[in-house]
Amino acid sequence: MRTFVAVAIFGGGIVHATLGPALRIVDVAPDIPLIVVVLLALRRGPEFGCGAGFLAGLLQDAASGGMLGVQALTKALIGFVIGAAGGRLRVSQPLVQVPGLVLLTVLEGLARFALLKVFHFPAPFGELMTYVVLPQALYNGFLGAALVLALTWAEATRERVS
Amino acid sequence: MKIRAFVLLGTVAVVCLVLLTLQMRGHIAGASDALALVTTPVQSVLARVNRGTVGLWSTYRDWKNVRAENRRLREESQDLRVAALRVTETVEENRRLRRLLALKESMPLATLSGEIIAREWGGWVRSLTVNRGRADRVARLTAVIGPDGLIGRVVDVRPGASIVQVLTDPTSTVGAHAVRTRTQGIVEGEPRGTVRFKYMARDGSGIQVGDLVVTSGAGGLFPRGIPVGRVRAIDDRGSALFHYAQLTPAVDFARIDEVLLIVGEGNHDLAALFAPPMP
Repeated sequence: MRTFVAVAIFGGGIVHATLGPALRIVDVAPDIPLIVVVLLALRRGPEFGCGAGFLAGLLQDAASGGMLGVQALTKALIGFVIGAAGGRLRVSQPLVQVPGLVLLTVLEGLARFALLKVFHFPAPFGELMTYVVLPQALYNGFLGAALVLALTWAEATRERVS
Repeated sequence: MKIRAFVLLGTVAVVCLVLLTLQMRGHIAGASDALALVTTPVQSVLARVNRGTVGLWSTYRDWKNVRAENRRLREESQDLRVAALRVTETVEENRRLRRLLALKESMPLATLSGEIIAREWGGWVRSLTVNRGRADRVARLTAVIGPDGLIGRVVDVRPGASIVQVLTDPTSTVGAHAVRTRTQGIVEGEPRGTVRFKYMARDGSGIQVGDLVVTSGAGGLFPRGIPVGRVRAIDDRGSALFHYAQLTPAVDFARIDEVLLIVGEGNHDLAALFAPPMP
């Protein structure tokens, strides 16, 4: 539970809102909570993925001043789906990780857009996809792959030491 | 898959949709405030950490930049120092050449300017090599002078250069006289690199330290009146036939770079050209 809370807070919107700007490349910032939720869901399953996604998204909504619940729902959905499908995916390959995260980011963007439309929130689809979702999806893909590699290396080192 | 997972997903979805609906109807300000109570302090702490990290990084980058700039400035300063030295050298050369040119233009005799390209300072022989030779019609025994006085004579002429025996060469002798007393004598070089004035005791009783000695013009080799040196010390040898006076040469042979070779002939007194002589 402690891990859950810690991950939800530090892997969530706060880190994204606070440290995100430092990671900006040409005005594109990665969606760190999404990457964290995906990684957690792959390791811990759909329940954990769903819960982590909900908390991370909720905090991200709160920190960013957006509509509470939008990212909470989309990230919970992503966490759940990835957690459920994780066993059947070969996620150890960077060739899967990069396009996988790109696709997930795009899906999350589409889901968020759809949700906002349902609640009559003004959101221009074309511009959002071109200038926000797609660049962020690419960034997430490479950053996520780098994180996976780093985690694999850290685990291998830990195993060697122990 | 466990049913619990679907229940959780359903709950999450319902909560989110309720939250969104309430927000659309303007009833959720309280929930936002409650979340802000949790997020704001953490955000502040993280922002501080972020600022600290970024600050540390900026400091490191500044330090690196300062180091690079320091290296660049040091190189620039070195270049400037070299340039300044070059300028100083050029100014000094300019001054020397101007003096030489002034002397050349005021000379009543034909002269040829030359540059010293080598020096022999071993003690056995003391000579300079000038970049004027047979091609310039330089003759053997040509007198060589500088703006300060006599340097020596050409003892060997080669196709592109001449060897000048300087006054301090142990085999160098020049007919001279002390200007104030008109005492005649011979200026000789010494193995230790000094110059002495040899004169007959009966003629030189009035010679004093500081007296100027110039070429006498006797023998026709050197024009009359070219400064040779000043008396630095007198070596009184009592009843001996000859007495000696140690001279400080008028020319600093180690520092001279340009010379004039007197190629014209004529019996002129050049004393006025070298005024004021060195103190």
